[in-house]
Amino acid sequence: MTTLAPATAPAPGPALSPARVLHSEWHKLWTVRSTWIMLAASTVLTIAGGIAIGASYESGQAADFALDPVQFLLFGTQFSQIILAVVGVLFIAGEYSTGMVRSTMVAVPRRVPVLWSKAGVVAGVVFTTTLTTLVVTFTSGQLFLDGTDKELSLTDRGVLGTLLGSAAGLTALALVGLGLGALLRSVPGGITAFIGGVTVLPEVLRMFPYDVLDSVAKYFPGRATEGLMTLHDTPDYATTGPALLALTLWTVAILGTATVLLRRRDV
Amino acid sequence: MIAATELTKRYGDKTVVSDLTFTVRPGTVTGFLGPNGAGKSTTMRMILGLDSPTHGTATVGDRPYAAHRAPLQEVGALLEARSVHPGRTAYHHLRALALTHGIPRGRVAHVLDLTGLTDVAGRRVKGFSLGMGQRLGIAAALLGDPATLILDEPVNGLDPEGVLWIRTLLKSLAAEGRTVFVSSHLMSEMALTAEHLIIIGRGRLLADTTVDTFVRESGAGTVKVVTPEAGRLTQLLAAPHVDVSSSASGTLDVRGTDAEHIGRTAAAHGIPLFELTPHAASLEEAFMDLTRDSLEYTAHLEQA
Repeated sequence: MTTLAPATAPAPGPALSPARVLHSEWHKLWTVRSTWIMLAASTVLTIAGGIAIGASYESGQAADFALDPVQFLLFGTQFSQIILAVVGVLFIAGEYSTGMVRSTMVAVPRRVPVLWSKAGVVAGVVFTTTLTTLVVTFTSGQLFLDGTDKELSLTDRGVLGTLLGSAAGLTALALVGLGLGALLRSVPGGITAFIGGVTVLPEVLRMFPYDVLDSVAKYFPGRATEGLMTLHDTPDYATTGPALLALTLWTVAILGTATVLLRRRDV
Repeated sequence: MIAATELTKRYGDKTVVSDLTFTVRPGTVTGFLGPNGAGKSTTMRMILGLDSPTHGTATVGDRPYAAHRAPLQEVGALLEARSVHPGRTAYHHLRALALTHGIPRGRVAHVLDLTGLTDVAGRRVKGFSLGMGQRLGIAAALLGDPATLILDEPVNGLDPEGVLWIRTLLKSLAAEGRTVFVSSHLMSEMALTAEHLIIIGRGRLLADTTVDTFVRESGAGTVKVVTPEAGRLTQLLAAPHVDVSSSASGTLDVRGTDAEHIGRTAAAHGIPLFELTPHAASLEEAFMDLTRDSLEYTAHLEQA
């Protein structure tokens, strides 16, 4: 012990810091294959969806007049949003299922910096990749839409903002996945809760013949994100401001609960 | 230095660890012994802040583990063997842990080398044998060059060469002045590795002693002597630490000294010996007697 006494002195050597925990989580995300596979899959699905929809579109079809010119090209996000949420679930619940969490929490015994670093890493990575993906998706889909009633350019009013909002929405969904993974500590549990709560539940609510349930359903994370993908406001979806606010509240509430429980529960 | 004070852990009405108070000192290997399910792992998890005690406190180096600014420099821990993501390579596992403290890459390479994992550092942990997994756990424990090591059943699943390697490693770490706290359910293993013993059964402290004392007080040192002059020999052997009892006429059971001393004493005084047999009641038996007694005792108490 005497030989190691400097360990407790305030020397500039190794010590925990929020930035270092963030760096560690960044390293963890990229050193398992599933991250690469899932981000690639969600990117390919989204772009392929945009191209398929754009290429098969013919203007003047009676049923199509209601299609939002941006949202319909982002059709692939119906699938990729689940993949992105799974990235979030796996990032934390995967640590519980493998036992890695014990190593993690011994290294960072205050625990909470781990969850918030994971949230920061997920937010940064998912926002950057989805924004890029959505811009590419929109642009590629539009290649087939010259001369149709859905022709739009990236620089048209509201388009870039809609894509930014969509990327923010998808990022929030990934964070909701992370929060559910942290709460349930189980990969299948987290994925089931996400699909059930975010995708299925609002649709179930809409089946009831009560307007109030239909309004509530608009503010569920999945539907709020769909609303952010529309260029024009419609009564089907919440408008941009409230949708972003609802997503923020969901994310903060779930991650906040996860933080409290992380502090309180045994690892 | 590890200090546990009245450490208690209950799950519902089941008490896993009960009122444990002990100190683990630097410079020696301290064995933490108990049958499976005695509460060893739970105690270690409480020391590391993974589980919070129902009552009592545990400190490492005078403060709770989580209060240190560089926890990995304070304590290196090996918990259950699989505390690793199987999809990550050994190198990246250690690197991710090192990054939390800003521990340089060179140190990662060093602990890989120390544990003989350099050649497999780039392989995913999924394909590791149990022994390689244990070595990776030890590498992670050594990453911060810690003042204290807490190792839960480190020899589990190791081949004889690996067991010997751990034994030597633990002794050398203690010789460097570190606190080394190692759990095991094998008395025989601890007798070879540890100097100090903390023995628990059903979450209760049964013994806090040195290996030497435990060996002396257990039946391990008994020598059976058959002689026609039992009375005279008993007087000749009398010494503060020697205990002589007689199970049958002309038969002595001597504790606290060895066969050589008894034989030489008898010869020097011309006492004939018909039999001189060191009785090898194993340490394992003594340990089992101790823990079994405690279990019966607690069971009896609970009935009352």
